Amino acid sequence: MTDTAARMPARPGGTSLLGRLEGKLSWIALGLAGLLLPLLDDSYIGLIAQRACIYWILSAGLNLVVGYAGQIAIGWVSMLTLGAYTTAALTAGNVGAPWHPYLALVASAVIGAVFGVIVGLPALRLRTFYFAMTTLGFATIVTQVALAWKSVTGGGVGTPGPVFPWPFDPGWGFYYFCFLLAAVATWMTANIASSRYGRALIAIRDAEVAAEASGVAKPRLLMMVFLLAGALGGVAGGLFSSLQSYITPDAFTFEMSVLFFIGILIGGRGSILGPALGTIILTVLPEFAAPLVQWSTFLYAALLLLIVLVIPGGIADLLDYRNRRPLEQHREIAPRPELLPRLLGERRRGELLSLKGIELSFGGVRAIAGLDLEIRPGEVHGLIGPNGSGKTTTLNVISGYYAPQKGEVTLGSSVLPPGAPHLRAPHRIARTFQTPRVIGAASVLENVMVGGTIDGQGSFAESLLTLPRHRRDEAHLREAAMLALATVGLESLAAVRADRLQHSELRFVEIARALMLRPACLMLDEPAAGLSAEEIRRLGALIKAVSRAGTAVLLVEHHADLIFDICDRVTVLNLGKILAAGTPAEIRSHREVVSAYLGA
Amino acid sequence: MPIKRRQVLSGSAAGAVSLATGLAAPAIAANEPIKIGYLPALTGPSSSTGVGMNRGTQLAVEEINNAGGINGRKLELISRDTQSDPTKAVNAVAELTQRQKVALIWGPVNSGEALAATPLIARDKVPMLHPCWVDELIDVKKYPMAFRIAPTNTQIGGGANHYAVDVLKLKKVAVVSDTTGYGTASVNTYVPMLKAKGAEVVYTNHIDAANPDLKPELLRMQNAGAQVIMPWSVNAGFLSRICNTRGAMGWDVPIVGQTTLGSGQTKALLEKPEYWNKVYSNNFRQVCYANGKLPPRAAEYVERLKKAKVEFGDTLLWWVALGWDSMALLTETFKTAGTKPEDIVAYWNKLKNWPGIYGTISWTPEQHNGFPDDEVVMCEVNSLKDGAFNIAPGYSS
Amino acid sequence: MLQSIVSYGLAVGAVYALIGITYNVMFSASRVFSFTAGMLGMLGGVLGAIFINKWGINAALALLLVLACGALLGIVTEVLTVRPVLKSVEQHLYVLSTLAFALMIQQVVAIEFGTEAYPFPVLIPIDPASIWGAIDQKFWLPVLACAVTIAGLEFLYRKTLIGRAFLAIAEDSYAARALGLPETRLRMASYALAGVIGALAGFTGAQMLLAFFGNQSILNFYGFVPVALGGMGSNRGAVIGGLALGLFQQAANFLVGGIFAAVAVFAVFIVVLLLRPEGLAGAATARRV
Repeated sequence: MTDTAARMPARPGGTSLLGRLEGKLSWIALGLAGLLLPLLDDSYIGLIAQRACIYWILSAGLNLVVGYAGQIAIGWVSMLTLGAYTTAALTAGNVGAPWHPYLALVASAVIGAVFGVIVGLPALRLRTFYFAMTTLGFATIVTQVALAWKSVTGGGVGTPGPVFPWPFDPGWGFYYFCFLLAAVATWMTANIASSRYGRALIAIRDAEVAAEASGVAKPRLLMMVFLLAGALGGVAGGLFSSLQSYITPDAFTFEMSVLFFIGILIGGRGSILGPALGTIILTVLPEFAAPLVQWSTFLYAALLLLIVLVIPGGIADLLDYRNRRPLEQHREIAPRPELLPRLLGERRRGELLSLKGIELSFGGVRAIAGLDLEIRPGEVHGLIGPNGSGKTTTLNVISGYYAPQKGEVTLGSSVLPPGAPHLRAPHRIARTFQTPRVIGAASVLENVMVGGTIDGQGSFAESLLTLPRHRRDEAHLREAAMLALATVGLESLAAVRADRLQHSELRFVEIARALMLRPACLMLDEPAAGLSAEEIRRLGALIKAVSRAGTAVLLVEHHADLIFDICDRVTVLNLGKILAAGTPAEIRSHREVVSAYLGA
Repeated sequence: MPIKRRQVLSGSAAGAVSLATGLAAPAIAANEPIKIGYLPALTGPSSSTGVGMNRGTQLAVEEINNAGGINGRKLELISRDTQSDPTKAVNAVAELTQRQKVALIWGPVNSGEALAATPLIARDKVPMLHPCWVDELIDVKKYPMAFRIAPTNTQIGGGANHYAVDVLKLKKVAVVSDTTGYGTASVNTYVPMLKAKGAEVVYTNHIDAANPDLKPELLRMQNAGAQVIMPWSVNAGFLSRICNTRGAMGWDVPIVGQTTLGSGQTKALLEKPEYWNKVYSNNFRQVCYANGKLPPRAAEYVERLKKAKVEFGDTLLWWVALGWDSMALLTETFKTAGTKPEDIVAYWNKLKNWPGIYGTISWTPEQHNGFPDDEVVMCEVNSLKDGAFNIAPGYSS
Repeated sequence: MLQSIVSYGLAVGAVYALIGITYNVMFSASRVFSFTAGMLGMLGGVLGAIFINKWGINAALALLLVLACGALLGIVTEVLTVRPVLKSVEQHLYVLSTLAFALMIQQVVAIEFGTEAYPFPVLIPIDPASIWGAIDQKFWLPVLACAVTIAGLEFLYRKTLIGRAFLAIAEDSYAARALGLPETRLRMASYALAGVIGALAGFTGAQMLLAFFGNQSILNFYGFVPVALGGMGSNRGAVIGGLALGLFQQAANFLVGGIFAAVAVFAVFIVVLLLRPEGLAGAATARRV
């Protein structure tokens, strides 16, 4: 499981040995270099390597938080501080009887995990900058407490770090310990990154609404990630205390926090290999540029600015040579609706989606004023109306982004909880968006796999360790996603980064992602916008086939031809109310509709 | 067979090294420079001390080398700026001991870095000479090759306590510090010492040095009935604010404490020059004016500095002298005992009343703290002239 | 003691409030919270000390120079770190670009100016015995600066055309652009204005806070707290929040003292944010889909 595997999973046939090796060469090289490093017999290099490994253990976890989930945790050095003091204080016997160093290291992981979650909690409610500030504040507070709590931390004088006994005693033994743990941290975070959890994290980062619509439970997922990142930070801290031999609060500087953070960003968001290289480079670089030591923080900051402005993708982007291969110029989207039964299941019991007496106003504006609507399985239901008539708002009420002040939405016999978008996917309600919400940095296949998130069985821990259930999930999801892509006619682009696609292709990617849910109800928000006439025709055929497979389809569209071509029923909205409803033929001849809307 | 391969490789590497040095040894040893690892803090938050010592250190090495070095061998300072950051110090120690194979290490000059560096230098069995005050840094069992060419914190605090309680005869004491390691450690050590002397510690606190308004603190001291304030910090801004607040409150108690009370930076931050009255800071008898004159060794040294046109008005004499002394001691050591670690340590273990400009140093195998108690004195900070101060009133000369 | 809490609390609170307004002015123009707010405050003090103490420029001219530098830095911030990443504001790259820029400036100050705190000169020669000298100018200067800024902003926003254009941008930048307002130039002007306000905060507060490179991070955090409490974009909220923070901090300083005051401020900050993420006076957020 490597980074490249996470980024480039989409070679369905590429299981040959060479194919699998291709993406792992960098890791093999890095691993060999690490294993053979003691041959140099230079313990100065050994010390720097220990430091790089320890920093990477922390950064590996932080990478999931920053690089994957996109949470700007600038003050993560606090985990290093906590871990270092836990291990040091426990082994030194500042709290009860002295602990064995290895046990104390485990305790550091636990403490780190607990505080990782505590620090992470605000991320669920606060905007980016606010969260960045709280992590910074927390880092300051931890240092202050370390200074004040003399009996445990030794206050400003500090406390000695432990010496790990055989087999990982100081020198190369300790180096192998750090190296081993760094390898384990890499393996575990790479497992998560390439699992449905990793994809969900990136979805939260780049397309949060789409993640919610796919049933990603952000709070739960983020808590797991903060727990893991905290634990890894704690372990790194424990090792750090031994490496430093003596820890004082002034060892844990803001510069260090910036170093971790910048290492990840230089490496590139959504990659494991990139940040690993970034961390190594930033650890090693100052050692070769002694005259520049004074300017090191300045250089880090300049580097960060450069990365953000010039190569936001970081090292990982530079290494990602595959996505620089030119794409075929004249591509054609050729959906294959005949695959739908295989994708959606042969025998499906459709369910009726109904809205009763929905009312919703923003401030004084009534966006929806008492709306009743029924969308039947097996039918395409068109929703049209002028701008501001409440079409998209209706979609948002159904998918839970808005909680109506009155009325309820039911699917079959169950009432849908208002205002809970991530609870729609379990009811098999899927949707697309007016502006496609896809993860530009992920491959098309990964984007589609996000749609099947709730069908995974394995837990976070199972993914962490690639246990069988995780591997089964992945295989199933991949197979289903390839099928969904084939259905919409994009399987040849499965491995391509989504941000390289044309606008029309993104619309079909969104449909494929929605189909991953095997939806009982599929809602499409202006899917034809920006498509060519031929593409619209194919889209229409696909939508119709989806409905005929037993899905209730709700179609919001401006394109009158498409509406009247494929809809079984049409509802016209105006000012949040139903202006008219009926079959396309009835609507087409409806006097008011024609004058108010169609005529225009 | 990885094990075998490793043996072969490392064996050959070692072979190459010994071959190179073996060939070179007889020819070059005579004039190959003696490498001294040097860990000053020249940049970063508490670097003014380091900058002062660096001036003395560099000057001494220059003079020694210009005079032909030691038995034809030059001194080579391999300097790594620790930036007051323990992490950088740890890296630098590994480089100096493992890769540069220095004969000994001078520094680090700040306690924070020294705490981390000392165990590592001891592990690599390299002799170490440092000017840090924290008591824990010297332990002949744990660090048999580490020597201190400066007083300990206990001696520093003892000197100040002695002055406040025995000389000024003030029994109600307020002891405060900033929140740094040095500050908190000092308060923790000195409070019990004061109590043991029979003084009453009426107020004690660690104060965030960034806090711009210290009036609350001083009011609480005043309410507690303090007769003397003893601040422990190397932060000039913090110390000057104590002086300023005391002055603005019109509170006429003496301030007795850390050497930085007398630094030029503290002076620059005073709102009025007279706020520096009745402020006494630690200093050292050998570099203080008594009756307007420096002791002979220091006087001669200042003359030399002036002749060499060395600027030291912006720093303190004892910092420059300390850097100078260390190099002078090393030179003497290399001349008499050679450069082998065990020889250096054996020589130092028998050092008795070595006459430095900054202090008179004696070590024994059991005691690697070499500074005499009676040379730690207090001085009047407002008497600063040519980087040195008047010894405070009340000391016998 | 009460007098000390009030005079000092209000003074330092006014500095926090001004930094909060600096955040707000930049936020209104671009929906960006910039880490450069604290940097501007820090530079106001450091540059003032250099101009007056080292170069011997008189105080009024120095103030003008400092404000000009602030405006210039504001413009550089906008051009270098905000404009290029505005397109991808979803990814919050601005947090990183402004942090990077602020760190670079801070490092330059630390290396070129030094890491020690330097004194800031007394600006207005007043005899302490006179009526005007009854309260130290280091206390009333920041409060005065805060009052002038608020009055100036009110005038700008309500009475002038350019001020209304600022408001229009803050309200809805797309609509404003559609109306033909030069959005980019207005944004640059806002950043220049923010630079002036931040530098003014630093300059007037420096007799109290000293010219110190470390003030950057302190002001970044304590200047942001009023914004978080008062609701983003609300200048009145920032002033009330800033003064309240100053008083609270100073009271905590008196009552519990030392580092626990810092912990207390942080605890209040977190609790308020968790209970009311939009701030005590803020409104709920806009639509996302």
